[in-house]
Amino acid sequence: MASSSSSGLTFKLHPLVIVNISDHYTRVKSQMNPPVASTSCSNTNGSGNGGDSAAVVAPAPPPRVYGCVIGVQRGRTVEIFNSFELLYDPSTDSLDRAFLLKKQELYKKVFPNFYVLGWYSTGSDAEEADMHIHKALMDINESPVYVLLNPAINHAQKDLPVTIYESELHVIDGIPQLIFVNSSYTIETVEAERISVDHVAHLKPSDGGSAATQLAAHLTSIHSAIKMLNSRIRVLHHYLVAMQKGEIPCENSLLRQVSSLLRRLPAIESEKFQDDFLMEYSDTLLITYLAMFTNCSSTMNELVEKFNTAYDRHSRRGGRTAFM
Amino acid sequence: MEAGKRKTEEEQQTLVDRKRKAEISEPPPPTTTSTTVTMNAVESLVTQIQGLSGSPNDVVALHAHLNKVDEALRGESARLLPFLDQLDPSIHSLGYLYLLDACTSGPVSKEQATNLVLITSRFLTSCSTEQIRLAPEKFTGMCKRFKDQVLLIEAPMRGVAPLLVAVRKVQPSSEHLTSLHPDFLQLCLLAKCYKTGVSLLEDDIFEVTQPRDLFLYCYYGGMICIGQKHFQKALELLHNVVTAPMTSINAIAVEAYKKYALVSLIDNGQFSPSLPKYASSTAQRNFKNFCQPYIELANTYSTGKIAELETFVQKHREKFDSDNNLGLVKQVVSSMYKRNIQRLTQTYLTLSLQDIANTVQLNSAKEAEMHVLQMIQDGEIFATINQKDGMVRFLEDPEQYKSSGVIERIDSSIQRLMTLSKKLTNMDEQMSCDSLYLAKAGRERQRFDFDDFDSVPQKFNM
Repeated sequence: MASSSSSGLTFKLHPLVIVNISDHYTRVKSQMNPPVASTSCSNTNGSGNGGDSAAVVAPAPPPRVYGCVIGVQRGRTVEIFNSFELLYDPSTDSLDRAFLLKKQELYKKVFPNFYVLGWYSTGSDAEEADMHIHKALMDINESPVYVLLNPAINHAQKDLPVTIYESELHVIDGIPQLIFVNSSYTIETVEAERISVDHVAHLKPSDGGSAATQLAAHLTSIHSAIKMLNSRIRVLHHYLVAMQKGEIPCENSLLRQVSSLLRRLPAIESEKFQDDFLMEYSDTLLITYLAMFTNCSSTMNELVEKFNTAYDRHSRRGGRTAFM
Repeated sequence: MEAGKRKTEEEQQTLVDRKRKAEISEPPPPTTTSTTVTMNAVESLVTQIQGLSGSPNDVVALHAHLNKVDEALRGESARLLPFLDQLDPSIHSLGYLYLLDACTSGPVSKEQATNLVLITSRFLTSCSTEQIRLAPEKFTGMCKRFKDQVLLIEAPMRGVAPLLVAVRKVQPSSEHLTSLHPDFLQLCLLAKCYKTGVSLLEDDIFEVTQPRDLFLYCYYGGMICIGQKHFQKALELLHNVVTAPMTSINAIAVEAYKKYALVSLIDNGQFSPSLPKYASSTAQRNFKNFCQPYIELANTYSTGKIAELETFVQKHREKFDSDNNLGLVKQVVSSMYKRNIQRLTQTYLTLSLQDIANTVQLNSAKEAEMHVLQMIQDGEIFATINQKDGMVRFLEDPEQYKSSGVIERIDSSIQRLMTLSKKLTNMDEQMSCDSLYLAKAGRERQRFDFDDFDSVPQKFNM
């Protein structure tokens, strides 16, 4: 079902859509009762009832959420700007049409340029049943798009778990059928979106935070960057050592690249630089030292106060006075 | 004689066999009606020790048994010496310890002391740590007696090395203070081998069982550091004695306070009689009464006039001498010169030696040159002496704090501070849960919280 599209349309996806879909899904999932176990952890805690304590309680399947995507189509470029949610009617196995039209009207008032371009859902792969909904939407838009978000968290995967499908008429076994075909897309951002994505990604405090939280956030990002650098250097090192031992055949082109990288390394190697660098380094260390000292002194002060209150028979009768 | 001996050997063998077969619950009573019987008991004990010193479980059983026969052994103290040769101190440490302890429990003459010192030193250096840790009090008691013997034969040097080994073996960890610490330091002081003492002072102590140990340890430690001219560390240790919690005044603290005043004058150039708030209130109120001349010395010192200081010292010479502090007081006087010269560096860039001598009230330029030279060598000032025209040029501290050595030092200090901070937080939490503290803190709170009545505070902090 997932062959590449041949329609020649280029798709541009805005991050707002992705955030919306993920938000919708998360909300629904967390409101479900009983809460759905996440796909990564198992359900074997000791609080299972006696009867099936041996058996693992099967986690409820993750819910599917549905909605509409809207945007602009200019020539061969389809730009998906926004999305809104829709109710899925399991009895008729289709989306709530009245609600859809009403929402469409409202959005038309605010964004006159945007048209309904398609719909979205969550899941790991496009299913046969989705074709129903797809066909149902064809009266609003002749060839709707289907945006699929895979909510399963896969740490190994580097790309976004978002796929865009189009429908095409293919002849299979002599019968012309509509099937979903995969389309490539690019992410397009506006400045406002970039800020909000950054906010979501780094969970920065909304009011700018105090200096302490900002510093902590800054240092965390530096720490993660350095950690990543460290792990990559380690991989390279491991590789080179293995090459040296002869476990891996020598690849000269790679060796040339590594050596050119190494030769670029000490950018400045002069005495003046060393001096300045060490002086700044020791300044920073001294400030940390001073901060730690202050911290320790304040703990010590509290300890001494407590000790004096508890054990010194003739300590000053301080306590709380009537007026502050 | 021979037959008799052989017979007792046979008797001993049967006794041992019988004892080995049955569980020994009661030791043979220490009657002196038949010395051979008691000797046999000791012999059997010796063989038992030899047998049971293998695995840790056996040693624990042996320990229990030895505790029971301890009293019996003490009755035989005079005759136990030859049996010690049958035991190996490194393998049979526990049994050896008990026998040795029983040997030394009675009064010891000078000749015996020499022999005993030899035996004990050998034991201390070669005993096994796990075995003696089963009976720490006995070990400590025996070491204290060892120290007395060493002092009796007037050779404190011989006790230093064995006691250092003993301290390390009986300590649960390097942060614990044992009763042997002050004894060891006392021996170091008497033997004048300060360096060994300093090696023990390097450890930070966090756990103290007996307050008296802490007082003595810090006092002796301070004296050793003064001997080594590490005035900073001496100040630290003496400060610990002076500010330690105490409910009633004790002599060690008073003596320590006197030395503390003097060392503080030498090192810092000033001394304030008021103690920090973490010192106990008994200390804060009572020390001044005992140490009046020292406080007056500090006041005279602060005027900066050498002549006055010297007259004062002369006046109270006997008092300082009776406290054994005269040497220290003399060092205080000489430090006055240093202090004055250092004060000159803040005013002048160059100065002639004659002027220095005049300002600091030295007798001649030659003396001034000697002083300045000594100070440059000690690193107390930075200067160059131009001998041609007798001018001294004062320089800035050349240390730029730019080297990687400095960075390593700061880094290690930060690490140490982090571990210390964790310990402090733990102690603070423990203190907050302390019942005595909670009782007092609860009592001092007012019945009704001020906030309960009035929602508007009386004073606004703008």
